This record gives sequence, C-alpha cells and structure tokens, in this order.
Amino acid sequence: MSQFERDLREALRHREPPSGFADKVLARSCESVTRHTARPWLAVAAALVLVMGGGIFVQQQRQHAEDEKAKEQLMVALRITGSKLRNVQARLSTIQQRAVERQSNP
Amino acid sequence: MTKNEFESVVRDHQRMVYSIACNFFHNDAIAEEVAQDVFLQLFEQHRTIQLGAHCVAWLRRSTVHRCIDAMRRSSFRQEMQVDCMPDIASEVPETDLLLQEGLRRLIASLPEKPRTVLILRYGEDMDVEEIGRTLQMPVRTVWSHLQRGTAMIREKATRYLKEKVLEGDRR
Repeated sequence: MSQFERDLREALRHREPPSGFADKVLARSCESVTRHTARPWLAVAAALVLVMGGGIFVQQQRQHAEDEKAKEQLMVALRITGSKLRNVQARLSTIQQRAVERQSNP
Repeated sequence: MTKNEFESVVRDHQRMVYSIACNFFHNDAIAEEVAQDVFLQLFEQHRTIQLGAHCVAWLRRSTVHRCIDAMRRSSFRQEMQVDCMPDIASEVPETDLLLQEGLRRLIASLPEKPRTVLILRYGEDMDVEEIGRTLQMPVRTVWSHLQRGTAMIREKATRYLKEKVLEGDRR
C-alpha cells in the first residue's frame, strides 16, 4: 500500500458521532411507533367524520329539493286559482252587462 | 429484529454510518441528520432485515444512497472541478491532522460516484467487488471511479507539493 493510500485511509477513518446520537435515534424510533399506532385511529376518525358529514349533506340536499317541489306546487296552485277567479269575474261581468242591456231594452 | 436488537445495532454501527455520511459531506450536522434517518429507516424495515453481515451491508448501502439523495435534493452542491477544488496549500502545513483535514475536504468535493467509491474503499476497507455489489455497479466502473477519484486528489496534492518546492526555492 502506498503512502498516499495510507493517508487516505487515515483521513477517512471512523469517527465518533456526537454524544447522545444513539439516544436521539432511539427516541425518534419510539415517536415513530407512537405515530404508527395512532394512524389507524386517525383513519377511523377521519372516515367517521366523512361519513357523518356526507350524511348531513345528503339530508340537507333532500330537504332542499322537497322544499323546492312544495314551493313549485304552491305556485302552480296559485296560478290555477288566479286564472279561475279571472274566468268567474269575466262571466259575472258578462251576466251583469246582459242584465243592464235587458233593463234598458225591455 | 427486536427492539433490543435494534438498540444494539444502533450502538454498534453508529460510528460506521455517521462516518460514511460525515466523509461524504464533510459537514457534521448533515451527517448526523442523514445517519439518524438511516437508522429510522432500518427501524421501519426491521422485520425484513437480518442481523449480522446482511444488516451491515444494508446500513452501508442505505447510508450511501441517502447521502446521494440528500446531495441531489439540496441546492448546495459540493461537487467541483479540479481547478476549483479547495486549496489545501494555503491551509495545510506539515502536521498530519491538517493534512488529513485537507484530504477530507478534497474527498468531499469530488463528484458523487468517485467520492462514494473512495469512501467505501478507504473508509470502510471494502474491496472492489463488494463496492460493486453495494452500489449495483460493474466492477470495471468501480475501478474507473476509484482511479478517477484518486487521480483528482493526486493532481491537487501534486500541485500543492510543487508550490511548496517553488516556495522553498524562492526562499
């Protein structure tokens, strides 16, 4: 082995990591375990929130559609009633006109 | 691998993992971060990794790959051309410690592949076949990176020596 290679070997020799390195790694691995065990509960909770939120949304949409339908039916009924009233009014005025004509030309 | 086995792996191999990362970056903070991530990855995959030689090989391979990934991700690239390499002449007098420091800086400034090969060859004392298996690289390519890396360092070192000789002549 040449001197150059010996120098390279010496320069690249193993060094001690900072103090507490292993403890930091072990602490982080424990955190990672906690995170992993918490995940299924988080997923279940998120799913529940989604299902409940979705249910409420669907119910609100259904209620809104029913309200719209009732409103539409009411408007149709009012339109029909209005046109009937106009017909009755027209007939009454025709009858009244004829009566007036009969009185003036007996 | 149980939790206790994982703990003993961390304590037994922390020097190796940290040293590979430290030699790669020549930066203690980045080396510590990379080394911690390697052990956390080991913890996540501990069921599939066997203790012993398999675990050591896995740690070396993962450390090298993490170093390369971290270097590619960061905007700061230490890779330099020979002409731009840090000048050890101005900072390294005769003492061995400073010479080693200069060499470490030079190695950390090499392109990623020659750098990795040099670290595994001289830092981990691995032979060329082992390096090839670790980096999934043909043996010829490992040789070529090894020669390229040493040539780049020699060139700079030679330049340094010539400058020292010229300085001596002037005096």
